[in-house]
Amino acid sequence: MFQYYFMLGLRSLRRNPVLTGLMVLTLAVGVAAAISTLTILHMMSGNPIPEKSNRLLVPLIDNGPLSRYTPGEMPEDNQLSYRDAVNFLQSGQGVRRTAVFGIVGGIEPGRSDLGTLQVDGLATTSDYFPMFQVPFLHGNAWAAEQDKATANVVVLSRRMSEKVFGKENPVGRHVRMLNEDFEVIGVLGEWNPVPRYTHLINGNGGTMGGKDDIFIPFQTAIRLHLNNSGSMTCNGDVTPGYQGILDSECTWIQFWFEMKSAADRVRLQDYLDGYTREQHRFSRFVRQNVNRLFDVMQWMDHLHVVSEDGPISTWLAFGFLLLCLVNTVGLLLAKFSVRAGEVGVRRALGASRAEVFKQFLIEAAVVGLAGGILGLAFSSAALWLLGRQSERYAALAHMDWSMLAATFVLAIAASVLAGLLPTWRACQVTPAMQLKSQ
Amino acid sequence: MLHMKNLSKVYRTHMIETHALRGFDIHVKEGEFVTVTGPSGSGKTTFLNIAGLLEEFNGGEYLLDGVNVHGLDDNARSKLRNEKLGFIFQGFNLIPDLNLFDNVDVPLRYRGFPAAERKRRIEQALTQVGLASRMRHYPAELSGGQQQRVAIARALAGSPRLLLADEPTGNLDTHMARGVMELLEEINAAGTTILMVTHDPELATRAQRNVHIIDGQVSDLVRKMPTLFAHDANAAAAAGNPA
Repeated sequence: MFQYYFMLGLRSLRRNPVLTGLMVLTLAVGVAAAISTLTILHMMSGNPIPEKSNRLLVPLIDNGPLSRYTPGEMPEDNQLSYRDAVNFLQSGQGVRRTAVFGIVGGIEPGRSDLGTLQVDGLATTSDYFPMFQVPFLHGNAWAAEQDKATANVVVLSRRMSEKVFGKENPVGRHVRMLNEDFEVIGVLGEWNPVPRYTHLINGNGGTMGGKDDIFIPFQTAIRLHLNNSGSMTCNGDVTPGYQGILDSECTWIQFWFEMKSAADRVRLQDYLDGYTREQHRFSRFVRQNVNRLFDVMQWMDHLHVVSEDGPISTWLAFGFLLLCLVNTVGLLLAKFSVRAGEVGVRRALGASRAEVFKQFLIEAAVVGLAGGILGLAFSSAALWLLGRQSERYAALAHMDWSMLAATFVLAIAASVLAGLLPTWRACQVTPAMQLKSQ
Repeated sequence: MLHMKNLSKVYRTHMIETHALRGFDIHVKEGEFVTVTGPSGSGKTTFLNIAGLLEEFNGGEYLLDGVNVHGLDDNARSKLRNEKLGFIFQGFNLIPDLNLFDNVDVPLRYRGFPAAERKRRIEQALTQVGLASRMRHYPAELSGGQQQRVAIARALAGSPRLLLADEPTGNLDTHMARGVMELLEEINAAGTTILMVTHDPELATRAQRNVHIIDGQVSDLVRKMPTLFAHDANAAAAAGNPA
């Protein structure tokens, strides 16, 4: 009977086209508002690497001085010092380890039509690429030995590769950048995770926007005395010069461990606790704060990647959808009330109340389906307009398959919900009265 | 086929009680054509609604084809209605959005027949009422008489044991009414029991038996000779029955 009722529902759309049009439009507007905001929230708060997000851990330790320290108060610092980053890289903990900081530099394409290009990028270790499942279009990442040897090798984004070398594979070619010659050893495929969870603290577009075009070995960047493009927190004295920063307790490097399993987190916590005890013995650490570990989702939550406005906007949009639903209830009541005669006939011909209920509820769902289709068009238009507002929104305003499915589920669920009262009213029709009055 | 004993029906509002039927007894045998007459407000339609399981009754006993309908839930009553009864209404009550084929299909859908069986029954019923060639037309494209024929086809398609007709010719002119009446007589002759409410004394006399209702009670039973079943007014007059 579902097919029969669905067919009746489709025919019913043609009945009272103005009323039907209003219902579809009302639902579509409500659904579009809800889905557009939900898409933004979904993109902001979605798990960017679900396969291993609970095995990728960010360590935070407190290397601050005793001045301005209140015991028990957690530090606001979210990065590591160079010394701790290097120690962690050499710790052997987990299956992979990587340190990351942002860099800015100039690329000289060596073409008369292109001047020096100012680009953003990352200084990181070879583990970064497999750890975050970064795809390669050409070539590969550098080897761990090239990290140690501070080799002048670079991985380019596809965008930068095409800008400098055109469509050809540039692996093996050299490019002048950061005032030195670098060998191109890899070109990334399409990879632009949103949020940019691998280095949420950065000076290039923030958590949502911005693109990194060059990736060079961590120690190469240190050798070249490249400054961090992002925030740096210094709580103590710093000797002037780059080496002074490296020797200081200034924190400016983001760090990740990849564990073999989520259960290995306990082992890593033990390592961190042991490490800080050792640093206390050397009198390097003086505070007694708890060492913390964050997996990917906890890390994004800790850094408030989803602003408080996001959930509020979504609640407001769903409130608007509720208003649209109330309107739809009224319109459905009007639409169904004129069909009391038909209900009477169907009841006389053998339809039970349950069958009438099913028929009208499926008709309401068909209205929802039409509302979903129109709502999808409205949502796409709204997201397109939103994407044009800023680079940040452009990165977020994309509807994925789950949101596409959510649009229809929401539209149909909303219309069925709105149809409950009108359908129940339709079932209460007294057939005898309707048949005589027709 | 239909047996009601001491049946009562009371409509209650917070102000008054109206006894639509009281001590109502009737027995309709299989294959009979019974007309029900009576003045307005006498309880004819209430009786037909109760007979058609469209309304509950307050007291007494009602057996439909041997089934005691008292206390049946909505699903059981709907199933019984669908399988054993056919309805013909004064106002035709076709669904305007559906073409003739789909209108006749409605009771068959609830019966759960497979598509091929439904198609066969629909075509057979529409052929029987002479409208097979117009099965893709919509009710609004037909005359009143034709619409009533479609309603009859819809009632017949499920092969009901009992056909309930509530003033089926009430909205038709004389010519069309005669055609519909002849069709009902053919259906009855083929074995279907018919119970018809009418205001028209001439039509009432064309049935095998006429039941007269006054103030919610059967006041009079007029039996007719089987020969009068033919639609010949002279024959009716010769038999000495009132026209």
